[in-house]
Amino acid sequence: MTTDEGIVYDRSLLGVETHIGTFELTREMILSFAKSTGETNPRYVGNNNGDGDIVAPPTICNVFVSGVSRPDIKLEFGEISFFAGQSIECKAEIRPGDVLSASTKLDNVYAKTGRSGKMVFAVWETKFRNQDDTTVALVTESFVRRNKNR
Amino acid sequence: MKKNLYFEDVEIGDDIGPIKRSVTDEDVIEFISVREKKITPSRFTSKEVANSEGLPEAIVPGPMNIALMAQVLTDWSDTVCLLKIDVVFRQTVPHNKGLTFSGIVTDKDETGGSTKLGCDVVMENSDEVKLVIGTGVISLPNKP
Amino acid sequence: MLLDLHTHSVASDDSRATVEQYIKWVNVLRRKGKSIDGFVLTEHRQFDHDKNYASLASDDGIIILKGAELDTDTGHFLVYGISEEITGELDFSDVNMSAQNLVDICDSYGGIAIPAHPGRAGIGFAEYLDGGVTGFETVKSVEQLNGSNRPGEGEKAESLIKAKGYLGTGGSDAHIVSAIGTCMTSFEKEIKNESDLVQELRRGRFTAVRLES
Repeated sequence: MTTDEGIVYDRSLLGVETHIGTFELTREMILSFAKSTGETNPRYVGNNNGDGDIVAPPTICNVFVSGVSRPDIKLEFGEISFFAGQSIECKAEIRPGDVLSASTKLDNVYAKTGRSGKMVFAVWETKFRNQDDTTVALVTESFVRRNKNR
Repeated sequence: MKKNLYFEDVEIGDDIGPIKRSVTDEDVIEFISVREKKITPSRFTSKEVANSEGLPEAIVPGPMNIALMAQVLTDWSDTVCLLKIDVVFRQTVPHNKGLTFSGIVTDKDETGGSTKLGCDVVMENSDEVKLVIGTGVISLPNKP
Repeated sequence: MLLDLHTHSVASDDSRATVEQYIKWVNVLRRKGKSIDGFVLTEHRQFDHDKNYASLASDDGIIILKGAELDTDTGHFLVYGISEEITGELDFSDVNMSAQNLVDICDSYGGIAIPAHPGRAGIGFAEYLDGGVTGFETVKSVEQLNGSNRPGEGEKAESLIKAKGYLGTGGSDAHIVSAIGTCMTSFEKEIKNESDLVQELRRGRFTAVRLES
């Protein structure tokens, strides 16, 4: 544990890559994702009957990112966490039937102040590879931890 | 959606969108159900849970907001290829409220045969408060 | 002379704009007939003495200066005229630094510290003064116009300015390219460098303006 800039967390996790899951992406999942976001682009939803060749919308990896268990950084601050930001670099198309393997590493932890008072941010870098070991997406996510609004 | 938009057609300062929409409770449940077969009450689906976490109402999941931000760019034209999207959340996004998504072309890379464009993308509420800001990098084909 | 006194590049954690992109966008604004002469990069909680944007800016006649936006115990402050002495005396990454000490050090070493977005909850100067914080006798200006304000925050800043007789600066608080220049500061005199900027801010020869439509 360390107290850099007054933040207490498990520094040993910085830069350590951890496998966080393997996920199969079905056509139904892609169509459900598209439906929930009001997607109408035929590339992602097929023809009028929902048939035809499709690819996944470019941010589909988020479905998996949000559900995984990351290593606990044992951050001793705040009562509540939020998604603060994200970058997705789309490296290759993702198609129905692809099996995606995700690995993540802690990139940075830092503090700042905002409208909600003091906040601590943890930044993770996650790489998704498909069944051919091709990297399909590089995702950088930032989570903020703060106290609840009173 | 524009048909056959080409790199040569676009100038820095060109507007993308706007798109007006809201995210319903049902949309959020559909989004979460892509991965979770059993939906448990959370800040995303339950006002009570949201209230217990200091939020005034249930909120739209961050990953869903990113999908919506990306859509502003991919809906611009059938020729758009999204290479990267990078967003920062400024405020939580509520269900069932009017949202405006808009983009603008801020950069055009014309070096070495590149057809990449840089864009700003913004999600605003009805008071024009920016809830989510971000940037995207897209590519368009050259004119045949 | 119109300068945007509050901008963030990708050096700040929550900005997605590069300096080069800002320069291109300033030229877009100019082509559209808008007036903007330059901007000051006020990165969050940091200052890099070695960064030099002169070569980037000179071709386009755009002034690019450097400052910082610091987190303090009395809200966020914009700092201009940052010298080696100032960075030597203060830990810019300290989110709880004493604002009074920051103001005093800047006064001593040729800089100036100005409350940023003073009407903002949690990180705005007005809330702290309302809560009974005293001192800050040498603060004569606050950021009057901020391009990232939410409803009510600008009004609170205006009330503070009226109550205290402060002067007001303007800045976009841009974190994305297309936001730059939305609010600026109009100076009576030409500003070529950070020393000129501090001098004119101290002399009070400026007003806050919005980008004309």
